[in-house]
Amino acid sequence: MGFDVSVFTTYWPLFLQGALLTIRVCLAAFVVGFALGTVLALLALVPLRPLRFLIGVYLAVLRGIPFIIILFLVHYGLPFAGVRLPAVFTGTIALSLFASAYFAEIVRAAIVALPKGQFESARAIGMSPGQAMRYVVAPQILRPLVPPSTNMTLTMIKESSVLSSITVAELTYQGLVVQGNTFAPFEVFAVVAGVYWIISIAVARAATLLERKAGGAQSKAVTRNSLADSFLSLERRPAS
Amino acid sequence: MVFQTAHLISVMPNLSAAALVNLRLALIIIAIALILGTALTILRSLKIAPVNAVIDVLISFIRGTPLLVQIFIFYYALPNAGLDLSAEVAGVLAISFNSAVFVSEIMRGSLPTIDPGQIEAATALGLRRHVIWLRVILPQLFRRTLPVLINESTIVVKGTALLSVITVVDVLRTAQQIASSTFRPFETLVGAAIVFLVINLAVSFVGMTLEARLAARRM
Repeated sequence: MGFDVSVFTTYWPLFLQGALLTIRVCLAAFVVGFALGTVLALLALVPLRPLRFLIGVYLAVLRGIPFIIILFLVHYGLPFAGVRLPAVFTGTIALSLFASAYFAEIVRAAIVALPKGQFESARAIGMSPGQAMRYVVAPQILRPLVPPSTNMTLTMIKESSVLSSITVAELTYQGLVVQGNTFAPFEVFAVVAGVYWIISIAVARAATLLERKAGGAQSKAVTRNSLADSFLSLERRPAS
Repeated sequence: MVFQTAHLISVMPNLSAAALVNLRLALIIIAIALILGTALTILRSLKIAPVNAVIDVLISFIRGTPLLVQIFIFYYALPNAGLDLSAEVAGVLAISFNSAVFVSEIMRGSLPTIDPGQIEAATALGLRRHVIWLRVILPQLFRRTLPVLINESTIVVKGTALLSVITVVDVLRTAQQIASSTFRPFETLVGAAIVFLVINLAVSFVGMTLEARLAARRM
């Protein structure tokens, strides 16, 4: 069994279209999901029991059921409620809702981690409310957001492959189309997986750069003897 | 349309029966993933450069590509390599390998929290390498990573729903079959969602009970 390169050379426009749609859907779902997640996180801070309870139920349900079921519920539920939308939209809505549940938790954790009184202290040394937000509060909330948000974005990109099951013509769907035409599953899924891999690595790299720019905390170098390292470290070069 | 609670109730027995399929597959996957993930962790600790280089690429691949695509690779592409697996076996293997990598990464994160003095003490006592792993490191490691491993288990349970795409008759596929004969997809899907929610709540509950018991034993 060799690798039939013609699968890629013939069908690359389909793979490209699929990859672009995957990126577009994920970008849209990231923006909507993050915004919705932030709103949920802020609402959860309001001391109002029924509201907190409702948000808690929303988060538990969206995190407790498989994304494919969220997707089908939105895709078949909206027409049920009288709203008919193309699959691309129902898919993007489902992905946004899914992401919002996780982003809400990420944003909440970042807000809660902010020591109390930071804002008041900044005001006390003579900063304006705007300056206090800009120079004291925002950096402390935004910086810890980057690593978990990156993780969630990568999860979202991967989950977007499930949109293929409601006929959204994203990367995985195009792969299935090409597979139906060529009966060359190995080549097709090698290409599809390769493209996802490249997208994931690119997003992870971009996030690392962003983190460095934001001056993220450097991880402390752990000094330990080589005996313990031969068990407790999996890094190829043990920390000195 | 109006939500028919009667229809939702009428589909629950069938969906609950199908839930046993997801539950059985999830249990098998979690068992394989724990064993394979632990083995992978121990293998990585040996720090054989070429082996770890290969494992690093494999980990990057599994973390960087969708589980659904990995399932397709096992189901559609492996027969080409002469390995014709049933949908169920292909699916279980795909999710197991995926989860094993995440289990190993979870362990990697927790290993540095173990006191190096224990390794020195165990070595000074003349314990063999495998005994140190089995008796000193792993028991503590499992206890410390338990909450994260439970979380990984709920991810596995959710992952089994993807097997419906490769024709495994699980909760979701049963729901789809019912929906296509009754033309009431929404109520049926709500039923499927409830089934998964109940399974995952149960998994979390078992996890918390286990944690409490382990914490009590340490006192």
